[in-house]
Amino acid sequence: MQRPYIITINNLSKVYTEKYSNIQYKALDNINLNIEEGDFTAIAGPSGSGKTTLLNIIGALDKPTSGEVMIENTPLSTLTATESAQLRLKNIGFVFQAYNLIPTLNSLENAEYVALLQGVPQNRRRNEILQILKELRLDNLANRKPSELSAGQQQRVAVVRAILGRPKIVLADEPTANLDSKTGAELIELMKTMSQNLGITFIFATHDKMVMEKAKTLIQLHDGKII
Amino acid sequence: MNTFTKIGWRNITRNIYRSSITIAAVAVGLASLIFLKSFIDGADRQMVENYTDLLIGHIQIHKAGFQKNMGLEKSISGPEALISSFKSTPGIRYAVARIKDFALASSPESSSGIMLFGIDPTAETKISILHKRIRQGRFLEKDDDDKIVIGRSLADHLKVATGDKVVLMSQGADGSMAAAAYEVCGIVEAGAEEIDKGLALITLKAAQELLVMGNKVSEIVVKADSLEKIDDIKEILKSKVNTNKFEVLTWKEISPMTYQWLQFDQVFTGLILFIVLLVVAAGILNTVLMGVLERTREFGIMLALGTKPSQITKMVTMESLFLGLFGVLIGSVAGLGLVIFFGKIGINLSAISSALNSFYIGSVIYPRLDAMSFCLYAAIVLLVSMLVSIFPAKKASRLSPIEAIRHI
Repeated sequence: MQRPYIITINNLSKVYTEKYSNIQYKALDNINLNIEEGDFTAIAGPSGSGKTTLLNIIGALDKPTSGEVMIENTPLSTLTATESAQLRLKNIGFVFQAYNLIPTLNSLENAEYVALLQGVPQNRRRNEILQILKELRLDNLANRKPSELSAGQQQRVAVVRAILGRPKIVLADEPTANLDSKTGAELIELMKTMSQNLGITFIFATHDKMVMEKAKTLIQLHDGKII
Repeated sequence: MNTFTKIGWRNITRNIYRSSITIAAVAVGLASLIFLKSFIDGADRQMVENYTDLLIGHIQIHKAGFQKNMGLEKSISGPEALISSFKSTPGIRYAVARIKDFALASSPESSSGIMLFGIDPTAETKISILHKRIRQGRFLEKDDDDKIVIGRSLADHLKVATGDKVVLMSQGADGSMAAAAYEVCGIVEAGAEEIDKGLALITLKAAQELLVMGNKVSEIVVKADSLEKIDDIKEILKSKVNTNKFEVLTWKEISPMTYQWLQFDQVFTGLILFIVLLVVAAGILNTVLMGVLERTREFGIMLALGTKPSQITKMVTMESLFLGLFGVLIGSVAGLGLVIFFGKIGINLSAISSALNSFYIGSVIYPRLDAMSFCLYAAIVLLVSMLVSIFPAKKASRLSPIEAIRHI
């Protein structure tokens, strides 16, 4: 049975203009796409194909030149900066290629950052987070700063941060790019389990074959177009 | 601790060297402000105290119009009743009567125009410190009706020393020619040239005889318990005399130039304080702005995760508040310590004592701090440290998340 679409993309284009030369570069070219709730989607393509740009626009981090992205029927183009921040906080979790943990906070504080912004009470937040960190074998690293963690450990903390706020969508930009293949595979398996258990929609930008193989839906991008 | 407060605090400790320099800049700035203000207030206070203690007193009561156009016809009859009434007024330490008139002082060698004072030697020591400034001979005593005390520069001009005779000439209250010879018993050195050059003191009785004034006097000089009470006491005294017949003037009205100088001094102090504040502000702005630029990527991540721009503003402002608080705390202790230390031992400026003396300021200045100024400066520095963070805080909150994350 088909599930409702959580993301609807209509005629989406993004054109960058070089600052000094005024040369225009089309990063996305008339994309039309629907993504179902709970989907485990990989957006694949070579470097420069527009994967990250598409993810950024879906995540309300960037604005399209034309076209529209709707998340649960909310058109993103109508949102102010604060409303975009609210939408991201409530609906979207991010996992970045470079982990992007906050350097002054320890693992526990980084992991609970989004839940904290959402106003989840500390008791509930801490219990849940310690349980997840334990499952991920990160509980003994709870008080360590990001600089004291390995790449794989940092990325797992980033995943916990992304899902702890119970988002409807997690956008992951090349999450395995800086990890060895074993750690990468473990991470994708972790996210797949979470997708199944929590009903979270995962969208990856990747050129990692392992990730593509694990994806339920695979979208190929080339020169800003879906092929 | 709130997460944004926590992050703000940890950012302070992140670059401890830079934060320490900023805290030191705030502390040094505030300590300088406190010390400078205390030094100037101490000097100003000394100036007013010396000025009023030497001769003028705090409040003078004359016949109406005397201050504008001095003359023996504007004299006060039976001053004892007024003095007795004034002495019983709360806040008044003492009140004395004087005669004041222009006269010509002559010696065999020279002559000079002077301001002649007829004083009660015993009572005068209670409101004036002139008797402590005798450099040769002695001060007048009760029955020294044939003696005179003159200023150092006047003595030099007349080429007289103690034991020599000086002839005073003036016009009596009845229009007669007044002239008498007096023996110099003391030479006073007030430190202020206008006094040392033109002052002559004889007893009140001798002056009344010389100027044919009977028991009349020119003025009643009042000394209050403290400078701060003067304006209130003036109003009380005004209610005790007929203001159509008498004028009650504070030292500020008697010597508006001195008062204006003090006001100018305060403006000048304010200007210096403003410059110091600017330096403090620039120091904090530099640190916070550098911190914001350095953490552009971090702010991008926070914004991407759903942090509201207002929360970013709060966090950056908290950092600045922490820097300011530490700086103010250290600066207050340092400033207060300096004021207490130098307030006890004084700052010896005897190398420029002649310049200071001409402004009625002694060679040793004792800084004095009022609690109001102290709190005000601490609050201003703290406020400035908060205000200067608005620009970097707004800059951070307005970042585009995606551009900020790309920032290296």
